[in-house]
Amino acid sequence: MHLQIEVNGRLRAVDVEQREGLYRVVVDGVERMVDAAAVDGTTFSLICLADGRSSQEVGLSPTGLPGEIAVHMPAGVASARVLAGAASRFGRGGGAAQAAGTQQVLAPMPGKVVKILVKAGDDVKARQGLVVVEAMKMENELRSPKDGRVTGVLVAEGASVEAGRLLVVVE
Amino acid sequence: MHDTVTKVLVANRGEIAVRIIRACREMNVRTVAVYSECDRTALHVRYADEAYAIGANAPRESYLRIDTLVDVARQSGADAVHPGYGFLAENAGFARACRDAGIAFIGPTPEAIDLMGSKTAARAEAMAAGVPVVPGTEAPLGPDVPDADVARLADEVGYPILIKAVAGGGGKGMRTVTRAADLPGALRAARSEALSSFGDPAIYVERRIVRPRHIEIQLLGDHHGTIVPFVERECSIQRRHQKVVEESPSPAVTPALRRRMAEAAAAVARRVGYRNAGTIEFLLDESGEFFFLEMNTRLQVEHPITELVTGTDLVHWQIRIARGERLDLDPGRMLSPVGHAIECRIYAEDPDRDFLPSPGLVTALRAPAGPGIRRDDGGAVAGVVVPVFYDPLIAKLATWAETRPMAIARMARALDEYDVRGIKTTIPFFRWLLTDPDFQAGRIDTTFIDNALAARNGRPFLEVPEDAEHIAAAAVALQALAQKTPAPAGSARPESRWQRTARTEALR
Repeated sequence: MHLQIEVNGRLRAVDVEQREGLYRVVVDGVERMVDAAAVDGTTFSLICLADGRSSQEVGLSPTGLPGEIAVHMPAGVASARVLAGAASRFGRGGGAAQAAGTQQVLAPMPGKVVKILVKAGDDVKARQGLVVVEAMKMENELRSPKDGRVTGVLVAEGASVEAGRLLVVVE
Repeated sequence: MHDTVTKVLVANRGEIAVRIIRACREMNVRTVAVYSECDRTALHVRYADEAYAIGANAPRESYLRIDTLVDVARQSGADAVHPGYGFLAENAGFARACRDAGIAFIGPTPEAIDLMGSKTAARAEAMAAGVPVVPGTEAPLGPDVPDADVARLADEVGYPILIKAVAGGGGKGMRTVTRAADLPGALRAARSEALSSFGDPAIYVERRIVRPRHIEIQLLGDHHGTIVPFVERECSIQRRHQKVVEESPSPAVTPALRRRMAEAAAAVARRVGYRNAGTIEFLLDESGEFFFLEMNTRLQVEHPITELVTGTDLVHWQIRIARGERLDLDPGRMLSPVGHAIECRIYAEDPDRDFLPSPGLVTALRAPAGPGIRRDDGGAVAGVVVPVFYDPLIAKLATWAETRPMAIARMARALDEYDVRGIKTTIPFFRWLLTDPDFQAGRIDTTFIDNALAARNGRPFLEVPEDAEHIAAAAVALQALAQKTPAPAGSARPESRWQRTARTEALR
């Protein structure tokens, strides 16, 4: 089985097949023989045979964003998505790297818009505050993902918003 | 006073409600829980002997309704109320309403709450008790005081200054100002936040001590005039003026300094006739001088670390004090910590996105266990939704060990075991913090997190190495493969499908 899987914004070519009770997994040309066992529906114990039988517990969990899976490992949490066909999208994550292209700033949690700090046409710097949303007793400043220009402010001060609501567009 | 506390209404929710209910059960005291709509199935409701619905989700329609809470106490026959922390814990009106209804309030008197709840009055009491305070304005500055007058007072206090809400707490209505030019804007913001959070726009101005440590002294007072101070807690690791990591003892406090701080705390408490559990907060500067900051007239979130190093149960003592019992703790022992304890507050927040709240459905959860681990939570388990209406604290994780390095190592081990999926938590931040050389060396102050965040400039706290990204890709591919392979008919344990399909395949 061949898959294109994006992990933390980087595309990985993955081949996986069963072989003699184990799994042969090739990621970007690197082959591993893996003893894989399901602990429960979403938690897996992986023992990589070539690697001194290194044992890892891996948990998979949908993030709520379409197609995105959070992969919980001892080293941390990676964000992954299986890409259909060859169509590749620019991924999330990538640490301090700036996002490219048109960026939609969504409400990360339900709350109330208490202040809008920009208007359409404003030039903004990466990490500059755009909107203040109050949730869980705290005022939270949502910041620009990139240097760019605000092309749309789609909420009004005082509005209650659901998680995922489009607030601001930065180009 | 009240020689019987036999049935306690717990006027709170979440982990602290559960912690109080547990103490009551241990003391054979019956418990009454209250809950808002979204808390119907919360752990504190299920653990209590009785439970009453008190209204809608917004705190002011449920957990802040003094009239409803007193009615429920009467109706249920509760003879005492424990307010926990937050909500009405430092509301003198609530303590007074309980007293008027003949119900014991497990905490200080309404008069003490009033007095110490006013930051300016509390400062005056500290000074009268001979305890040094941070230089600042003595009287509250109401909305009628012109900005120019505040500017003149700020010049007298000396920059950098902190503007604080008189009725404040938890960092609300607080602003740092380093230059006189920034004062008008900061003043406006602080007043508006103070008004919206506490209903009182009055502020005061205080000198900002550079790189201070936040050190606090827990104390208990009984109804017979005995005050017992405890070994200090170091709470310098703060974010937005909210503590996130606490430890006891402080790596910066010598036994001699501990005695002086404990005596100062006890002097303030004695002066105001303090009863029950309270905490005096100090700033400790780089030279070892300390200044009274404020008093918290309630049980603190971080009380477990004091319990771990002194072998006491502060909630048991709160109940015994409310019954009129005498404190018979050995004061010397309470100032002689055994080992070291650390607490991490596990919040539903995303540390890699400026600690934005991350409420929602917990899809899977495994909590750490084993030696030296204490975990207080409100019932966050798989399938539970962390509500958006309340504080995002989902659990407190404390570890105890013989030494500070081993308590840190044990905390790191516990956090590695902690598996929370579905929501983001502050666990990655703590895993990074515990590896920081300055933290490990005890070189910390209240600016630590802000400096660390600035230095990291948006880099995630746990950076996943290339090798782990391969493993992640492999796991996702294995799951996709397993989902394509139908489970054998009549399979009772779909979770073992991977191994089974592998075996089936091998037999072909």
